[in-house]
Amino acid sequence: MSDNNPSRDVFDAIADPTRRRLIQLLSEVDEVPLHELTVQFDMGRTAVSKHLTILKEAGLVTDRKVGRETRFRLNANPLKEIQDWVSYYRKFWMTNMFRLQQLLEEEEEE
Amino acid sequence: MSLKLELDFQYNTSIVKAWSALTDSNMLAKWVLPNDFKPEVGHRFQFRAEPNQYWDGVINGEVLVVDEASRLLSYSWAVGEEKHTVTWTVQELGEGKVNLHLEQTGFSNVPALEGARYGWTNWHGELAKMLAQ
Repeated sequence: MSDNNPSRDVFDAIADPTRRRLIQLLSEVDEVPLHELTVQFDMGRTAVSKHLTILKEAGLVTDRKVGRETRFRLNANPLKEIQDWVSYYRKFWMTNMFRLQQLLEEEEEE
Repeated sequence: MSLKLELDFQYNTSIVKAWSALTDSNMLAKWVLPNDFKPEVGHRFQFRAEPNQYWDGVINGEVLVVDEASRLLSYSWAVGEEKHTVTWTVQELGEGKVNLHLEQTGFSNVPALEGARYGWTNWHGELAKMLAQ
């Protein structure tokens, strides 16, 4: 289980509301077995399990066997990718908008 | 709603000048990047930044919406595999002020965007908290 080479895009992974809810639930606990997650949803364990697999493929979730049950844990690192483009473009546009302000004000003075 | 960047800026200018800053190629070159933009739906254009070792400096876009009456402009914004949509709205505030609203969404396909629409707003606030942990 490595999150260095996720097979799925993190943006795909979080595009679904069930998966975002799963991420949120996982962020509130250290580690949690499947049955404790399924009770939170109006869907069967197979459906929840499929969503967890997608999160695993994006490197957002890791799992391990403990006795007969599988426990899931959040790995929030890939979410940084999401925050990164937002902050990158925030800076990009803020700089440009400042330049635009100068441009528009110059024109006003002419 | 979806994963997006939203920014608002107020300027002491006219709505006509603000609209031209968004749609005129020469104006765009002065505050964004050199380009071959035209405000025509379907027109494909490029913004060209300085290339570096990671990136050829090219932003590929296609004009999606030009609604001069309601001052709304939208185009796609693609850098490599990453595809965004940039949408601008200009609003008259009175007393010689206008508001420029920018929205940049980061999904390359519509189903992903629709999927993300529900419940994103609350969730996005949680993101920062999670990353801080």
